[in-house]
Amino acid sequence: MTAIPDTSPALPNRLSPGALAALITLLVGAACIALEPAFAWLVKWPAAWTFPATDWVGAVLEAVLGALKPFARMLASLLRYPMDGAHFVLTRTPWPLVIGVTTALGWYLGGLRMALLGALGLGFVLASGYWIESMTTLSLVAVSVPLALMMGGAIGILANEVPRVKSAVQVLLDVMQTVPTFAYLTPLLLLFGFGPVVGLIASAIYAAPPMARNVMLGLERVEPEIKEAAVMAGGTRFQQLFQVEIPSAASQIMVGVNQCLMAALSMVIIAAVIGGFNDIGWEVLLTMRKAQFGAALLAGLVIVVFAIVIDRMSGALAIERKRHDPRIAYGVLAVSVLVTLVFWGRLPDPSGFALLDPTADAVDAGLTAFTVASGAWLDSVKNGAMFYVLLPLRIGLDQAVLPFTWGFMWTPTMSLWLFAAGAAAGLVLIARGSVVGGLLLMIAVGILETGIANLPWPFVLTGTAALCWIAGGRKLALISVLLLLTILLSGLWERALLSLYLSGAAVFACAVLGGAIGLLCAVSPWAWRIVRPICDMLQTIPLFVFLIPVLMFFQIGEFSAFLAICAYAIVPMIRYTRFGLVSTPDDLIEAATASGATSVQIMKDIRIPYATPSLLLGLNQTILYAFSMLVIAALIGTTGLGQSIYLALGQADVGLGVSAGAAMAILAMIADRIVQGFAEERRKALGL
Amino acid sequence: MSDVNAPAIACRHVWQVFGEGADKALTAALDRSGQDADAASQHLRATGFIPAVQNATFDVAEGELFVIMGLSGSGKSTLIRCISHLLHATAGEIRIDDENIVEASKQRLIELRRKKLGMVFQHFGLFPHMTVADNVAYPLKVQGIGRKERLAKASEVIDLVGLAGREANYPRELSGGQRQRVGIARSLVADCEVWFLDEPFSALDPLIRRQLQDEFLQIQAKLKTTIVFITHDINEALKLADRIAIMRDGKIVQIGTPAEIVLHPVDDYVREFSKDVAKGRHAHVASVMRGAGGGIEPGPDDPGLRTNMTLDAALAKCMSLYEPVPVWDDAGACVGVVDPADLAAALQVEDA
Ligand SMILES: Nc1ncnc2c1ncn2[C@@H]1O[C@H](COP(=O)(O)OP(=O)(O)OP(=O)(O)O)[C@@H](O)[C@H]1O
Ligand SMILES: [Mg+2]
Repeated sequence: MTAIPDTSPALPNRLSPGALAALITLLVGAACIALEPAFAWLVKWPAAWTFPATDWVGAVLEAVLGALKPFARMLASLLRYPMDGAHFVLTRTPWPLVIGVTTALGWYLGGLRMALLGALGLGFVLASGYWIESMTTLSLVAVSVPLALMMGGAIGILANEVPRVKSAVQVLLDVMQTVPTFAYLTPLLLLFGFGPVVGLIASAIYAAPPMARNVMLGLERVEPEIKEAAVMAGGTRFQQLFQVEIPSAASQIMVGVNQCLMAALSMVIIAAVIGGFNDIGWEVLLTMRKAQFGAALLAGLVIVVFAIVIDRMSGALAIERKRHDPRIAYGVLAVSVLVTLVFWGRLPDPSGFALLDPTADAVDAGLTAFTVASGAWLDSVKNGAMFYVLLPLRIGLDQAVLPFTWGFMWTPTMSLWLFAAGAAAGLVLIARGSVVGGLLLMIAVGILETGIANLPWPFVLTGTAALCWIAGGRKLALISVLLLLTILLSGLWERALLSLYLSGAAVFACAVLGGAIGLLCAVSPWAWRIVRPICDMLQTIPLFVFLIPVLMFFQIGEFSAFLAICAYAIVPMIRYTRFGLVSTPDDLIEAATASGATSVQIMKDIRIPYATPSLLLGLNQTILYAFSMLVIAALIGTTGLGQSIYLALGQADVGLGVSAGAAMAILAMIADRIVQGFAEERRKALGL
Repeated sequence: MSDVNAPAIACRHVWQVFGEGADKALTAALDRSGQDADAASQHLRATGFIPAVQNATFDVAEGELFVIMGLSGSGKSTLIRCISHLLHATAGEIRIDDENIVEASKQRLIELRRKKLGMVFQHFGLFPHMTVADNVAYPLKVQGIGRKERLAKASEVIDLVGLAGREANYPRELSGGQRQRVGIARSLVADCEVWFLDEPFSALDPLIRRQLQDEFLQIQAKLKTTIVFITHDINEALKLADRIAIMRDGKIVQIGTPAEIVLHPVDDYVREFSKDVAKGRHAHVASVMRGAGGGIEPGPDDPGLRTNMTLDAALAKCMSLYEPVPVWDDAGACVGVVDPADLAAALQVEDA
């Protein structure tokens, strides 16, 4: 967080706001460290001072949910009809027909390439032997998506028609998207009872916001003259909206449909953790638990294939292009009908295809061989990362440095030396004019010594307040501190710090690595050509699937979780970095070249400063991605809030689930606002 | 409708002020300044409001082509949007055929727009998801007219603007000039009586613009609607207008016929507009004529001037009285002769 503007470094007696904030934070931190031996409550918030907030939340929610329950159960039994219907249709339709329809649709939307994608994709699903499971998943998506589209569309139109509710809707959508996915499930479980309906409703709720956002955005962006032309034609408001504005916004709305589909698919698969019916997400989970990684990988690939087919086909909807000749689509359909009829009754059972099982078994065997052969090496990678990076970050050098890990014992003298070295380096920086940099360095040294999970709470509150104040002013600081206080008082503080630590470590790694890759892609189009499809792929894959490969190599544990989070959260960093760097206006670069700057100088002096807002937005997205993956990663061993949410789900403990979910959302939103604040400030400073 | 002599459009003290709570601010500012519009505007500006139209008062007669002119940001679009009630005027009265539309109900406004008002937009405002024919027929569709009937009517106006054969194209497949023809056709399809055009030709290149202006005049001659036309091009204004209103920072500074604007500008702002105009083309002999001292007999070489002749033409006539005169080179040798009539003719702009 070095984005604090350093305006008056040469005047140490007139501190800039950034320096002042950093100084106060440093002083509070130092005081906490000094006083800690005497007052243990500075670090560990005493249990006696917490309110049983999770219980209260639980009691209130249970009462509310209990009251809603009859209604919810009725809704659930109503929803069973379309669900069973879709399930029946999709699983009983002869598979050649399903493949035929998909291929025909692919042709109509995107020509030969899309048709091939559909045919090969579904062919793969068939060959994998997971046909029935896939169709079950698909039938859930098929019911939840129309629900989500209707809800999202209605919210979007409402916000557009009634300007007064617009900002309230925005906040609601923000909350809906930052509350972690698992946290939805617990209350829904209570309301609707075990069963696929929960997954259905959760996915409809989760998938509605992107639709609503895109409808709002699309309607907002319709050219004013087009809207006025509809008015002057004498249309009623209804006619204006449905005959002109919505069709004009069609491509933006289709982007919403695409995002809605992907979110629904992702959530349906996540909802498999509650189990209870035979879908593809459950299959992944089951095989993962049994450590059958070959099969897990296969099932995971089926999900990926599904995601890609759905994404590319619905993505084609958003692009205004001439549709392809429908006659060929009809031809494909006719052929598949013909095949179905000819082989009627003799069609092989779709679950009977297990063409890929040998491959899966081979992968399993190979993997076992590999992990046995290079187990030592993998372990050393894992332990190296844990002992030298993650653990010190988590519990600090003073506790992480042990004979068992580092080969020696950390002593208080070493702490003193570390502090002295940090202070000296900081002072050098300050003397050279970078006051904020020096102070931040000292703070960083302090954090390294204590560890994020052991940070004194007054320091965290002060630090957050300081950052918020610099990034967004007094109001943001006040709100953030109040929200953090609720976490502190509700007894979730330690878990929140653990979540902060893991996501912080992952975000940091993503920022460094993603930034570097983005930079590389910005200077070398060749690298981008390789990285881009990988990014596309990573963004299409449902969160769940990220767990499989890391589990294969590193077993359950924090390091695996860390890797899974990084794999998912690095993508926006790469994209935004590259985008920011390549979108520097040409005339700026020409001016710099004309002044005789080398390409390195241009990068350092022109492109990177110009790209800062975009870099910060990338960081922002990375943070949000990391938080959403954190909860999923709880499946394979993280501590902290994610774990609590997951446990709450297993125990149907609404209070814990919702409180922990809210705490997570609070952390995510504070981080979001701080980074957005800095981005906004940079944008203003650059006059964008 | 009610009164045969009532103007087609009558604006009385129309104000449009942008900003939060503009209504009250305007009333307060007017009270403060004792109903003095300029002082009130100044005060509004100082307090962070934008008085985009200030105290506009004028009439447009039936069948008149009324042009509003002014620099970018002077409030032309805002004024025309007030008259067509796309914006609700902050204060004032706007009558169309003697009906106060500021107070008209929603229902009545829809009716007025369906039957009486038509509008053409600067950036065309075509519906991207409809074909040319559907775009043009849209005002009929909202009235619930059947598809066959409305497409028949649409194809009539499409013919009128010279776009026959492009009915099935989408707007994105047309050139700028063709798109604006679609915009014009759409505004004409419902047989409007009052026609608003907001810089309809500004986005087009000069050649297409000239061509569309000519066609526009032909259409106007045929339909004889009342027209409010916005432009910031003085030549366009002079070519089309019956009368011109010139706006500056929200205020109408002068209203007059083209000749009045060119020859008697009220201030430097208006003069600056007409500076580059070939005045000889727009002013008539009458405008520079002095009262005759009685008893002048026509001489044998009288050039035959008439009051309604343009200055250019009059100059050419007068010049034709002179013999050719010699032209000298630097060394003082005669290299040729030039006819004064040719000199005058060379100055004349081709009449469009
Ligand atoms: N919706 C609005 N809110 C606030 N200010 C506005 C709004 N619409 C116009 N303005 C302001 O009113 C003034 C007049 O704008 P208007 O669009 O009428 O100018 P114009 O004469 O049509 O200019 P142009 O030739 O560029 O089209 C401008 O200062 C503009 O910034
Ligand atoms: Mg305008």
